[in-house]
Amino acid sequence: MARFILRRLLLMLVTMFLVSVAVFAITSAAPGNVARNVLGVQITPEQEASFLAQNGLDKPILVRYLYWLIGSDWQAGRLVGLPVRRITTPDGFKEWWAVDRDGALVQWRVEGENLIRRQRRPDGRVEEKPDNGRWRIKDPAAESARLAAYRAALADNTEIGEADRQAIGRAVDRILAILRTPGQDQAALLAALAGPEGELEALRDPKAAGRKQALQKAAAVVAGNDALLKALAVYRTLTGPDADRLQLSDQQFMAGQLSRAAAQLRERDAGSAARLQQAYESLKAGDLRATVVALEGVAPLLVKLTGNVGDLTAALQDGRYRPAADVLRALGDPGRTPFDAEQMATLPALLQALANALDDADPAVGRPLLQGVIALKAGRTAEARQAFRQAADVLADVGQALARSDAAGQARVGRVFWGVDTQNHAVRWETGTGKDVWVFIQGTGWKAFAGGPVEYVPLQRGLLRGDPGVSLRTGRPVADLLFIRLRNSLVLAAAAFVIVMPLALLLGLLAGLKEGKPLDRILSIGGMMFSVTPEFATGVFLIVIFAFWLKVVPGATVFGEKAPWNRPDMLVLPVMTLTLVELGYVLRITRASVVEVMRAPYIRTAFLKGLPYRRIVIRHVLRNALMAPITVIMLHVNWLLGGIVVVEAIFGYPGLGSYLLESALFKDFNAIEAGAMVLVVVAVTTQLLADLIYTLINPRIRYGGPN
Amino acid sequence: MTVNAPGISAAARPRWWRRIWSGLAVLFASKTAVVGLAIVLFWVVAALCAPLLTPYSPTAQDYQAQNSGPSAAHILGTDDLGRDIWARLLYGARIVLIMLPVGEHFWLPLGTAIWGVLLGLIVGCTLGLVAGYLGGWIDEVVMRVLDALMAFPVILLYMIIIAAVGASATNVVLAIAIVGTPGIARLVRGLTLDIRTRDYIRAAEIRGESKLYIMFVEILPNARGPIIIDAMLRVGYAIFAMGTLGFLGLGLPPPSPDWGSMVAAGRRYILAGSPWAALWPSLAIASLVVGLNLLADGLREESMRYQ
Repeated sequence: MARFILRRLLLMLVTMFLVSVAVFAITSAAPGNVARNVLGVQITPEQEASFLAQNGLDKPILVRYLYWLIGSDWQAGRLVGLPVRRITTPDGFKEWWAVDRDGALVQWRVEGENLIRRQRRPDGRVEEKPDNGRWRIKDPAAESARLAAYRAALADNTEIGEADRQAIGRAVDRILAILRTPGQDQAALLAALAGPEGELEALRDPKAAGRKQALQKAAAVVAGNDALLKALAVYRTLTGPDADRLQLSDQQFMAGQLSRAAAQLRERDAGSAARLQQAYESLKAGDLRATVVALEGVAPLLVKLTGNVGDLTAALQDGRYRPAADVLRALGDPGRTPFDAEQMATLPALLQALANALDDADPAVGRPLLQGVIALKAGRTAEARQAFRQAADVLADVGQALARSDAAGQARVGRVFWGVDTQNHAVRWETGTGKDVWVFIQGTGWKAFAGGPVEYVPLQRGLLRGDPGVSLRTGRPVADLLFIRLRNSLVLAAAAFVIVMPLALLLGLLAGLKEGKPLDRILSIGGMMFSVTPEFATGVFLIVIFAFWLKVVPGATVFGEKAPWNRPDMLVLPVMTLTLVELGYVLRITRASVVEVMRAPYIRTAFLKGLPYRRIVIRHVLRNALMAPITVIMLHVNWLLGGIVVVEAIFGYPGLGSYLLESALFKDFNAIEAGAMVLVVVAVTTQLLADLIYTLINPRIRYGGPN
Repeated sequence: MTVNAPGISAAARPRWWRRIWSGLAVLFASKTAVVGLAIVLFWVVAALCAPLLTPYSPTAQDYQAQNSGPSAAHILGTDDLGRDIWARLLYGARIVLIMLPVGEHFWLPLGTAIWGVLLGLIVGCTLGLVAGYLGGWIDEVVMRVLDALMAFPVILLYMIIIAAVGASATNVVLAIAIVGTPGIARLVRGLTLDIRTRDYIRAAEIRGESKLYIMFVEILPNARGPIIIDAMLRVGYAIFAMGTLGFLGLGLPPPSPDWGSMVAAGRRYILAGSPWAALWPSLAIASLVVGLNLLADGLREESMRYQ
C-alpha cells in the first residue's frame, strides 16, 4: 500500500515537472507579448524591452526555467559579491536585501550618476549615503574601442556647437591615451581619469536628465488629456506596424477615446463627429478595417484642429527637440498655420494647456509660449506668431544644451556596478552609456534613469523552495493571491460536491431500479440534457430565471475582502450551476452501474431465495453498484475543474479558475505556472484518493501485494 | 468484406443504398434519435439557408435599437451594438456546422466543430491502430504519452493552447483535436486489440498483406460502428468546447458571430435588464448539443438492441 502511494506521488512529481516544462515552452514560444498585455499597446519599444528585462524575460529560456525552479538568489549573490536574503517587513511585504560583510542589510539606487547605498537598520528605517567608491571601470579594452568609435562619429554630431565638439574631442583623446596605457589597476585608472573627466563634467548640465524628464512628462500630460490628440494617436496606432497585435482590451480602450473625441466635435462639426462615432462603433465591434476607413476621413481635420501639436508632444516624449521646435515654428508661419475660424475654435485651448504644462516643466520654454497664447486669444495674431517663433528658438537651444550634456556624458569612461535595487532585482548599473534607461516601477509608472540599469536578475527563491515568483500583471507575489483564490474555489467545489453526491447517487439508484420505466426515462434524459449543456449556458439560464425574473438571489458574486461563506446568498447560483451539470453525469453512471448489478446472477439468486426487495437493494445492490460511480467521479475531477473555471467566469467568482484565465489572457507566466502546478496536484491527488477509496469498498483489489 | 472471395456472388453483398436504408431503419426505430436528428437538421438547414431566413447581415449595426427585446423588426431582439441576434445565430451556426473560416476571404466546407473532430479522428485512429496492432514498446510509449495528456486538466490545455497561439478558427480546431485525440486513440486501440484476434485478420496475415493494409483496410472498417457513435458524441462535445472557448474570450475573434462570444458579450446586460443577447445563443448551443447527444444515445441503444 505504502509503495503504491509512494509510486503515485513520484508520478505526480514527474507529471508536475512535465507540465511545468510544457507550459514554459508554450508560453515562451507564443508570439504575443506580456509587456503589451500588461502596459497597453501604446508603449514604446524601449519601454517594452525594459519591462521584459526587469522581469527577466530577456534571458534564455533555460536560464529562466532554472531561476523559476530553484531560484535566482544564488546567481545574484555571485554577481553582487555578497549574499542576498529575503526578509518580510512588518507590513507583510517581501523584500530582498544584500547582506554586507558587517552583516548589515543593504540595497542601492542610482541617482544621476551617483551610487547611493541604502542601509536598513534593525528598526526598519533606511539610511542613505553616497557610495560612489564601489563603481568599477568597465573593461578598458572594450571602453577604448567604444570611445574610439565615438570619437570618430563626433564630427558628424550636428546637434552640438563647434566649440563644444572640440572640447569634448580633446578630452576623449586624453582618456583614450590613458586607457591604452597597459598595466594599470582600477585605482590607478580612476586617478588618471579624474583630469579629463573633470573637463567633461564642466560641459554637462547636471539637471539635464531632470529637464528632459520634465518636458517628457509635460508632453505626456498634454497628449493624454486632449480627446482629439488621443483620437489621432489611435489612428496612428491602427495604421502603424503593431496594429495586428492589438488585444481586445486595447481595442475597447481605444474605442472609448474615439467616443470622447466624437463628443467633443459634435457641436462644431456634426459630419466629422458622425465619422468618429462610426469609427468608435466599428472598433467596439472589432472591425479594424472599417475603423481605419472611417478615421482616414477625419484625420486631416484632426491634424488641422490640433495645429500638429500631436507631433510636438510625440517628439518631446521621444526627446527629439528639433521636430518639436519645427512644429512651434510652423505656428508662427501664416503660410502653414492660418489661425482661421476653424482652428481658432479648438487650438487656443489646446495651446493654452500645452503652454501651462511646459511652463511648469521648464519656464524658459513655456513663458514665451504662454505669452503667445494670450496674444492669440486677444486676437493679436502677429504678436502671437512672434512669440511662437521665439518659443521655437528657445526649445531648439534647450535641445542643443541637452544634446551637449548627453554627448559629454557619453565621452566618459563607463562604470559598472552589480547590486540589489529597491524593486527586488539584482541589477547591473552602468554609467557612460549616455542613454537614459526607462524603468517601469509597479505602481508608479515609467521613470528615466541616467545611470542606467542595463541588466536585471529578478530575485526569487524558486518553486522548489516555496516561492512561485511575482505576478507580472500585479507585481505582487503569486502565492499571496493564489491561496485565497484556491480557497474560494474549494469552497465552491465542496458545496457542489456535498449536494451532488447524495442526490445523484439516490436518483441514479432510483432510475437504475426502474430501468425502462417512465421515471427512468425522465431522469436519464433530463440528466443527459443538463450534463451536456455547457456550464455557461446553464449559468445564463439560471441567472435569467432566478436573478432577473424572480429576483430571489444575486446574479453575480462580489466578495471584496470577505470570504465566500460570509455571503452564502451569492454562492447559490454558482453552486446550482455546477450541481446541475455534474448531477446528470453522476446520475447516468450510477444508473448504468445499478442496471448492470441488477442483472448479475447473485442478485437473481437473492430474489429466488426470497429475500425482501428492500434488503436486496440495501445489502447487495448498493455496495456493488457504488464502486463504479465513485471512481469515475474522482477521475472526473479534470472535467469538474473546467466547469469551475467557466462557472467562475460567468458569476465573476474570485476563484482559482478565473485567476488562471486572467493570467492566461495576460500571459502572466508565473501565475499560469503556479496555477497549473496547483491544478496538477489537485487532479493527481483526487485520482489517488479514488484508487484508495476503491480498494476500501472493493476487497477484491489489493495494491502492492503479490498478484 | 472488401475481398472478392470466390463463392460470394456480387448480388448477395448488400448494395450501398440498402446499407444506408438499414442504417436509417435503426435510426427511425428510436424516438430519441429522431428527436435528436430533427434538432440537428433544424440547425443544419438554418445554417445552410441563413441568407434566406433573415434580411440582416450578422455584423450590420442598428444604432436606433440597441439591446432591444424581440419585436417585429428583430424577431429575437438585438445585442448591445444593435445587431440582429437571429441573424447572428444563423451565421454562427454556419461557423459551427458548415464552414471553417481559414483566412480573410477563404473558408473550407464543414464546420469548425466537425473539422476539430475529423482531425482528432485521423490522428487518434492512426495512433490507436498502430499502438493496438503493433503493440510492444510502440504501444507503451504512445499510451503513456496519451495518458499524460489525459491527466492534464483539459481547460488548462485549452487556455494555454489558445493563449499561446492566439484565437482563430483554425486554432480552435487544433485545440479541439488535441484534446480529443487521446480518447479516440484509446477507443480505437481497445477495438483493435479485440479485432486483431479474429480469424480474418489471421487470414490476411497469412496472405502476406502489409501491416498498413491490415490496419487500415481490415481492422478500421470493422471497428467503424463504435467509432462513428463516439464521433457523434464528440461533435457534440466539440460544440460544447467551442462555446466554452468563445465564452472565455478564447474563441473566434470579433466581429464573427461566435455563439460563445455572443453569450459572453450579452452576459453583462442580463442584470441591466436585457437578457436576450445572452439567452438566445445559450439556448442555441444547448439545443444543438442536446440534439446531437439524443441522436447518438438513440443510435447506440438501438444498435445494442440489434446486436
